[in-house]
Amino acid sequence: MSEPVVDLQNVRREIEAEVRARRATGEYPPGFDSKLDELFARFSPPEASDDFDAAVERAEEAVAIDLVIPVASNKPGIGLFKRVVAKLIGWYHAFIVQQVSALGAAITHAVRLLGMRVDQIERSAGHSERARVESARVPTARDDATWNDAVVRALDACRGRVAVCEAGDGALLRAVVHAGLDAYGVEPRFDLADGAIATGLEVRIDDAVGHLRSVAPGELEAVVLRGCVERLPVGEVLDLVDLATARLAPGGRLVIASLSPAGWGRGRTEIEADLAPGRPLHAATWTDLFTARGFEVVTSEQFATNAPITELPATHPDASTLNHALARISAELFGPDAYVVAGRLTRA
Amino acid sequence: MTSVHQFVPTLAPRDAVGGHYLAVRDALRDAGYSSEIYAFEAKDAYKKLALPFRSFEGGRPGEATWLVYHSSIGSPVADFVLGRREPVIVDYHNITPSSFFARWEPYVAGQLAVGRRQLAKLAVRAELGLADSAYNARELHELDYERVAVVPILFDTSSLGATEPDPALLDRLRAAKNRGGADWLFVGRISPNKAQHDLVKAFAAYREHRDPQARLHLVGGTSSHAYVTALEKFVTALELDDAVEITGAVSEEAKHAYYEAADLFVICSEHEGFCVPLLEAMHHRVPIVAYAAAAVPETLGTGGLCLPVKDPLTVAAAAARVIGDAGLRAALTAAGTARLADFDLASSRERLVAAVRGVVGPA
Repeated sequence: MSEPVVDLQNVRREIEAEVRARRATGEYPPGFDSKLDELFARFSPPEASDDFDAAVERAEEAVAIDLVIPVASNKPGIGLFKRVVAKLIGWYHAFIVQQVSALGAAITHAVRLLGMRVDQIERSAGHSERARVESARVPTARDDATWNDAVVRALDACRGRVAVCEAGDGALLRAVVHAGLDAYGVEPRFDLADGAIATGLEVRIDDAVGHLRSVAPGELEAVVLRGCVERLPVGEVLDLVDLATARLAPGGRLVIASLSPAGWGRGRTEIEADLAPGRPLHAATWTDLFTARGFEVVTSEQFATNAPITELPATHPDASTLNHALARISAELFGPDAYVVAGRLTRA
Repeated sequence: MTSVHQFVPTLAPRDAVGGHYLAVRDALRDAGYSSEIYAFEAKDAYKKLALPFRSFEGGRPGEATWLVYHSSIGSPVADFVLGRREPVIVDYHNITPSSFFARWEPYVAGQLAVGRRQLAKLAVRAELGLADSAYNARELHELDYERVAVVPILFDTSSLGATEPDPALLDRLRAAKNRGGADWLFVGRISPNKAQHDLVKAFAAYREHRDPQARLHLVGGTSSHAYVTALEKFVTALELDDAVEITGAVSEEAKHAYYEAADLFVICSEHEGFCVPLLEAMHHRVPIVAYAAAAVPETLGTGGLCLPVKDPLTVAAAAARVIGDAGLRAALTAAGTARLADFDLASSRERLVAAVRGVVGPA
């Protein structure tokens, strides 16, 4: 009898859809995953901590070498033998222990001094990790719907999987899904991700780098980078782009949806921009980066996220002069402050 | 006669790589080469099967001699091989990135880092790199190994049926099953890179939302006391002590019993260079749900359900689907059996000998 054949890709999609549906109905409560993560973290040993002080404390504990030589044994006679050996080498053992302990203590002290100097440098030069923590506390100021139309156009004719990183509250992802694309989101903030999941969207709770690392090379038809590309330092942005590129199938697309440097820090993004360790790049820079990485730039749209100043009606006696001035003021204040740049990978 | 001798860190029974060394020796001898195993240490029943590596003094005058170094961790054997003048073949079984162990077992992390450095140094000496998987081969290419061949680990799948399941254990497992609840199984060392804590999370979700009587069996020794301690505390905090069994190292008979009783093999590992337990699960016709990391998708092929994510709710949903869907289960076990045939020992031996002959020449 022949065994049944199943479409495993379809089974995977059904499973993912089921999980989304259960999350949406509340059967799977928000934060379920993060609570398990936090619980396991409680049992990690001190040296598993990323905290510098905890790590140095652990090193200081390890420096204290036991002076007492163990002599117990389950085997008859061996205990006596060990006691004799301990007696014979006791003085030398203590001599070596004192020197090794002194060396260890000196090294850990030096590491502590080095840590203090690094702290001072970070305080004076701007501490990116502190800024990152502080900015994570600030509610993100985003209205991703601004990019909906341009991103959907940039993804035109994509047939494979599309990852939208970050998905935020799901506005952009929803537009992409409604356009008929097989898209899912990636969002590191539990509250935003849970909110998007609750509306039935498929969202992975992870940061863009962490998620893309877990994706097999060539598995995605397109990657949309939104949000993270505004806040990350340039070096991390370049790493992220290289990682996303490696995950694209031949002919795949990389889409950048970002505020421009001119728009970043204006209006609702003021606080986020002040605290973020990075800043958005210009659209032209993305074009250059894409070209250098073997992409053909297929979309470069710039647009304004704010409406221009309303012009005077033509019936106004000074309409021509004033409207010309208003147009210039509008362009200055409310000109293009967002863009979508998309590239198609031309090399395998 | 040409000699092709193997140099290994440790030769031990109940270890897939240990079985590979012996199978390689036999394959080389059958192909007409003279072949011995030289080890840093040989354990238990394999003690007399290897010679001390420092006892190697080179081949007989006028006889071509090659050295095959098996790389899986840092070892003084690698430095010994590097110091020799004979041409070298490196058989790479993957070295777990030290970052997985740095927080839990700094000493092991150091050994792993040493292993990676030695592997890099061997690149200039290696006439050929052998890799268990394409995943491992990519790592060799990244280290500038010029010539690399993929040869699956030599694993005698027919040996899996050689032992009978431990009858007392099998009775206990079946009695528990008769009281209700599915049995999840994972076989492999308890180790940070194998991420058994993620498996426990998924199992907790499964118990809470799908099957409150389910059981999870984590079978295998440990590579990290700190990690297994944290795992045990985690299990207790989740009030799963009665449901999660951490067995430690077990006999082949006991392992057979666990496979017999399992409804599902689940793997959430972050890093595997090949993953022999997948083949074992296929042999025992246990359906597989796996997180697609490192070489797992490659070894699994279409022989199981591979997930792109391993969040607890998705893994639990996948497990529920496989356990509850008889058609899917039958299809997965059939696909597993078919996939297992790809690792047939005879064809893997042929690939190995052909790769070796390609650089060494005929015996």
